[in-house]
Amino acid sequence: MASTPLIKEFTKGLVSQNTLLVLLLGMCPALATTTSLTNAVGMGAAVIFVATMSNIAVSAIRKIVPDEVRIPIFVLLIASFVTVVDLSMKAWMPGLSKSLGLFIPLIVVNCIILARAEAFAYKNGVIRSALDGLGSGTGYALGLILVSFFRELLGNGTLFNVSVFGEAFKNNAVLVMILPPGAFLTLGLIIATINKIRRV
Amino acid sequence: MTLLTIIIFTVFVNNVILSQFLGICPFMGVSKKLDSALGMSAAVLFVIVLSAIISYLLQFGVLVPLKLEYLQTIMFILVIAALVQFVEMFIKKASPALFEALGIYLPLITTNCAVLGTAIMVTQKDKIHNLIEAVVFATGISLGFALVLLLFAAIRERLDLETGTPRPMKGLPIALVTASILSLAFLGFSGMVKM
Amino acid sequence: MEIMSLLTAAGVLGLVGLISAVMLAIASRVFAVKVDDRITAITAALPGANCGGCGYAGCSGYAAAIVNKGVDPSLCAPGGNASVKAIGEILGMTIEEKARAVARVRCGGTSDKCRARFDYRGLKTCRGAVMLNEGGAKSCPYGCEGLGDCVDVCVFDAIHMGADGIPVVDAEKCTGCGKCVVACPKDVIELQAWEGAVAINCNSQWKGREVKAVCEVGCIACLACVKACPWEAISMKGNIPVIDYSKCRACGLCVDSCKPGSIVVLKTIDEAMKVEGQRIVAERKAAAAAAKAAAAAVKPAVAEPSPGQ
Repeated sequence: MASTPLIKEFTKGLVSQNTLLVLLLGMCPALATTTSLTNAVGMGAAVIFVATMSNIAVSAIRKIVPDEVRIPIFVLLIASFVTVVDLSMKAWMPGLSKSLGLFIPLIVVNCIILARAEAFAYKNGVIRSALDGLGSGTGYALGLILVSFFRELLGNGTLFNVSVFGEAFKNNAVLVMILPPGAFLTLGLIIATINKIRRV
Repeated sequence: MTLLTIIIFTVFVNNVILSQFLGICPFMGVSKKLDSALGMSAAVLFVIVLSAIISYLLQFGVLVPLKLEYLQTIMFILVIAALVQFVEMFIKKASPALFEALGIYLPLITTNCAVLGTAIMVTQKDKIHNLIEAVVFATGISLGFALVLLLFAAIRERLDLETGTPRPMKGLPIALVTASILSLAFLGFSGMVKM
Repeated sequence: MEIMSLLTAAGVLGLVGLISAVMLAIASRVFAVKVDDRITAITAALPGANCGGCGYAGCSGYAAAIVNKGVDPSLCAPGGNASVKAIGEILGMTIEEKARAVARVRCGGTSDKCRARFDYRGLKTCRGAVMLNEGGAKSCPYGCEGLGDCVDVCVFDAIHMGADGIPVVDAEKCTGCGKCVVACPKDVIELQAWEGAVAINCNSQWKGREVKAVCEVGCIACLACVKACPWEAISMKGNIPVIDYSKCRACGLCVDSCKPGSIVVLKTIDEAMKVEGQRIVAERKAAAAAAKAAAAAVKPAVAEPSPGQ
C-alpha cells in the first residue's frame, strides 16, 4: 500500500468511491436526516468523527486482535465512539440532537463504518486508516449535503433556514420534498444522475 | 392507547420503512424476489420481537436502576449480535427446514437499522408503558416491514422485466422512485391514529 | 470523576458480555448439529456450482440426498465422470458413468431468416411471450423466441445471445446440467451427445410450404437427409429428423443433401468417411438400379403375348 500517495486515501472517498452515491451504503440516514441542510451537516460531522476515530482505533489494535472475534470488537469500538458523539450532541447541541433523533445511535449499524474498518483499517497503518476514514466520512457528508440541498430548497424555499425565494414561495413550497416520498425521489434521481455521469 | 392502535400506527401510519426510513438496505437488497422477501420478513419478525423484549428488560431492569443509560447503544448492539447468533444456532438444530428457508438472512439482520431502532424506540417511556405494549409494538413494526417488503417485491419482479427503463435508472434509482410512490400512498394513512 | 460509577459501568458491561459469551459457548455445544462425514466429503467432491441441475437444492442438498435417501449418485452433469468416481469411492461402491451431453439450440431462424409475427412490446422473456401469445412472437410456433430465458438461467456462463436473435452455446463451458432445457418454454433446447458432428437445426413439426412461408432455413420434411445417410442414422420423428449419434460417422452427406440448410455442422467433417459414404450410396444406387432393370426385364417377358394366340 506504500505505492498510493497519502492524499489519495483521502480523495478516493470523496468522488470516485463516494460512500453514498457510488457505493450506495448507508441510505437510511441519508433519507431521514436530510430534511434540512443543518441536519445534514450535523449528521455528516458525526459520521466523519466516528469513521475517523474508529478507523484509528481499529488500526491501532489490529496486531493484537484475534481473527475470530474481530467483528464484535470493532462493533464495540464503534459503539463507544457513537456514544461519545451522542452524549456530546445532547449536551452542546440539544436542538440538533432532537431533530436527528435516533439516527445518531444508529450510526453504529451504518454499513460504511464497519465496512471500512473491516476492509481497510484492519490491514493498514494508523495514518492511512485515519485518512481513509476521513475521506469516506467526508464523502458521505457531501452526499448528505447534496440530497438535503434539493430537499430543503424545494420543500421549504430556504437554505440553512435562510429564505432564498421569498415568503410567497415558502407558503406554497413543494411540501412533499421534505416528507418521506420526497426523500426517496430525490435520492433516486440523484443516483440516476450520478450513474449517467459515470456512464454506468 | 389500546394495543390495536399500536398495531395500526406501526404498520400503516408510521411504517418502519416508508415513514421512518429504517431497514432500507435489506429493503433494496432482498426485495427482488417474492420468496426471498418472505424469508427475510419471517427472520425479521423473529429477531425484532425477541430483541425488543430483551432490550426492554435490560433497559428497565439493569441500566435505569444503575443509572447507566448512556451505555444503551453499546449494550443493545452487543445483546442483539449475541441474540442473532443464538437464534441462528437454535433454528439450525430445532428445525432444519426453517433454517433452509431463512437461515441466510439472519446474519444480515444483525446490522439492520430496524432492529436497533426498534430496540431504542421501545425504551422511550412516553410512548411505551409496559412489556406487553413493547411486544405488540415490535410485532407491528415487523408486520409493517413485511407488508412493504412483499408489496415491493411483487412490483420489482415485474419492474425488472420492463425494457422501457432508461439505463441510468436501472436497478436502485427506479426502485427508489417506486418506493417514493409507495410512500406517497402510505401518506394517506397519516393522522388515522396518534401515538 | 467518580471511580464507583466507572467501575459499575465497566462491571455491568463486562458481566453482560461474559454472560452472552458463556451462553453462546454453551449453545454451540448443545445445539451442535451433527453432520454425517460422508455428506461433507461428497459435497467437497461435487463441483460446488450449486446449479440445481441434479434437481436438488445445491451441492450440499444433493450430497445429503445421496447419503440419506440413496438417490442416484450420477445425476451431477457438471461434475461429470470425475465426480461420479469420487462419490463412488466415498460411498464404497462402483457407479456407472454417463456419457457427456451439451445443450443444443435447435433453431436456425435468426431475425433475417425467420420473420417476427408482430412487433412484440410485452414482457421481454420467452416465457412471457409464449404465455401472452399462443405460439410466441415469431412466425414459426416451434422456433426460438430469442428473448434469453436460457441465457439468464445458465450458471456456467455457457450460453449467450447471438447478435441475430438465436442463443449460442459454448460447448466447452456447457456441462449439460439441463437448466436451459427446462427454462425454454418452446422446448427448442435439447441435450445432445458431446461427440455429435452434425445436428438438426430445426424444431418445427410443420412441413413443406407451411415451413417455407415462415422460415428460409426450416426443415420441410422432404426426407432427403434420411435417404442420403449411408449409415441409416437418420430417422423421422413426426416431421423432424432425428440423428442416432451411435451410427453417425460424421460424413456430412446429410448436410449436403439438405436444400433449405436445416442441418448444420458442429465439428469437422470426416472426409475419408465422406468418400466411403459416397461409395456406399453409389453402390446402393447401382444395386437398386440393377434390381429395377431386372424387374423391368422380367415384366416384358411376361406381358409379351405368345405368338400362337
